[in-house]
Amino acid sequence: MLNFVEKLFKEPFQEFLDTIQKFLPNILTSILILVSGFITAWIIRIVLGKIAKLLKIDRFFNNAGIARNLEKSGIKKSPVKVLRQLLYWTIVFIFTIFALIFLKVPVMENLLERFFLYLPNVFIASLLLIIGYLVANLVGRVILITQVNAGVKSAGILSRAVRIIIIIFAFAMAVEQLGIGRETVLIAFAITFGGIVLALSIALGLGGKDIAKDFLEKKFKGSSKDNDTFKHL
Amino acid sequence: MVKHSDILLDDVNRKVNEIGHADILIGIPSYNNASTIGHVVKAVQTGLLKYFPDKRSILANSDGGSIDDTINIVKESGIDLKSILIHRYEENLFKISTPYQGIPGKGSAFRTIFEIARVLNVKACAVVDSDLRSITPEWIELLVSPVLNNGFDFVAPYYHRHKYDGTITNTIIYPVTRMLYGKCIRQPIGGDFGFSGRLAEFYADKKVWETDVARFGIDIWMTTTAVANGFKICQSFLGAKIHDPKDPAASLSSMLHQVVSSLFNLMEEYSSVWHRVHDTENIPTFGFVYTVGLEPVAVNLLPMIDKFKLGVKELSILYKDFLSPELQKFLSEMIDQSEDKFVFPDEIWVRILFDFAVACHKKIMNTGHIIKSLTPLYLGKVASFVIESRDASFDEVEQRLESLCRTFQKEKQYLIDRWGK
Repeated sequence: MLNFVEKLFKEPFQEFLDTIQKFLPNILTSILILVSGFITAWIIRIVLGKIAKLLKIDRFFNNAGIARNLEKSGIKKSPVKVLRQLLYWTIVFIFTIFALIFLKVPVMENLLERFFLYLPNVFIASLLLIIGYLVANLVGRVILITQVNAGVKSAGILSRAVRIIIIIFAFAMAVEQLGIGRETVLIAFAITFGGIVLALSIALGLGGKDIAKDFLEKKFKGSSKDNDTFKHL
Repeated sequence: MVKHSDILLDDVNRKVNEIGHADILIGIPSYNNASTIGHVVKAVQTGLLKYFPDKRSILANSDGGSIDDTINIVKESGIDLKSILIHRYEENLFKISTPYQGIPGKGSAFRTIFEIARVLNVKACAVVDSDLRSITPEWIELLVSPVLNNGFDFVAPYYHRHKYDGTITNTIIYPVTRMLYGKCIRQPIGGDFGFSGRLAEFYADKKVWETDVARFGIDIWMTTTAVANGFKICQSFLGAKIHDPKDPAASLSSMLHQVVSSLFNLMEEYSSVWHRVHDTENIPTFGFVYTVGLEPVAVNLLPMIDKFKLGVKELSILYKDFLSPELQKFLSEMIDQSEDKFVFPDEIWVRILFDFAVACHKKIMNTGHIIKSLTPLYLGKVASFVIESRDASFDEVEQRLESLCRTFQKEKQYLIDRWGK
């Protein structure tokens, strides 16, 4: 009977105690790493704030137009504040990963390994989105200015359309990089993009043939309706 | 053979070696100007023989790769000495015609001319455009003599032009240069200048040949560099300026961009100079000023106003980043104005230009985009100017421009305050 009780309660309990004994230092180490992560992040955030103030980095961001772009994207905080916040959470995130590694749980280790393998994809996708957004803004602006200077009435629509197409293109590339619904995204993008091009071709063919004719005539025959002889220089 | 300069081609170095030294150099930049350059070359040759017969002179043509007959015409153009009443003639006029190196543009052509002047150690130089129809031999005397005989370093041209000719000069370059540097140079980007050998050397040494200075920015750069560096300057009345349009392929937007970006870059470079200037002064003027007949200029107002309205409507998204709210409000109200009520007041135009200059200085966004977005507003100002001066005489237009210059002067503190340190 005593033997049975020992097998039923004492041994599992002993095993549980052994496991706890083995695991407890890991938990404590992890908690310690996590706490020190928060403290380090907090210190770096404060130091960065002081340095930014000293070097007048906010002024640089304002002059470079980065502050305005952030504001346009709906972020009301100053670029330095955003940068400090970003750095803070990146440090916390790194320390959290270390803390999880120190737990030495096989399932967790497996998950982390897969996560780390996937991380470059996330990085490249984010980069694609950022570059896409910047290129879209730049190209959109260039098209807007040149078309307005050429007197094209639909300059605004044209610039917005190009901007949206570039953003969609970047988004499709980013999603493809992440491997989310790869084929669906590709097919959807091809259909949408092809549809836009076809719609534009038909629109130009039906509605804009006179404009195209005028443009080509002006370009190659040199005829112009603006018959002034202005010399601006 | 001694190679004097890396900028000059080998055969030019050889020719320069043969010539040795010269007193006067007249430079003519060209690019497909076969229809006009013959007249310009003859006027220059006559001017040199008539007014400087004892001086050793060079006519240097710097060409941008013309595919028409420009170079042959330069080489073959000669003058009938008897018909211009020249009886005594010494063989001391030389001709050099060479393609230039670097970015295609008038500025690169001038760089070659400065370099030849430096190597030949000339005392006085002049440059004249190859598209001129109204140039006479007297232009050479008026551009060179103040340097050779009166000790001036820079001679700006002063001509009578049609009231609608040179609108970038009238609405931007003349008033802004005058307000910034305090000298009343009526044609800062006239294109035909006289300058001393030492100023030619000063120009040649500058490292600006990869910028807009190498293109249409050269004229404002030459004038500003001379003024801001304290060279002795004057202007000469040359009569009428009648010329073909500059580079017909170049759009207004890119011409305006090249000139205005050079102006704004010079504002950066000489910021400490123009901050100290508070008054304007007249400069010595040579030549006998007389009234001249001018070719009519046809103006089509409606496309200008349409482009202005389109620009204000579509580019307001950019303007709100650097134009003050009052200016934005004014511009948006102007969209609804009909042609007869279309007035662009000087005060508004001056502040718009200042806000553009400050936006470029503070790099609010890509400076090329900022300056190119000025085109519709410039067209609005020109349209308003045309409407206002429809029935105005030459003198009345000059008075009108004088008033614009005074407004620039009055508002200078606004620019200084916004420019910052």
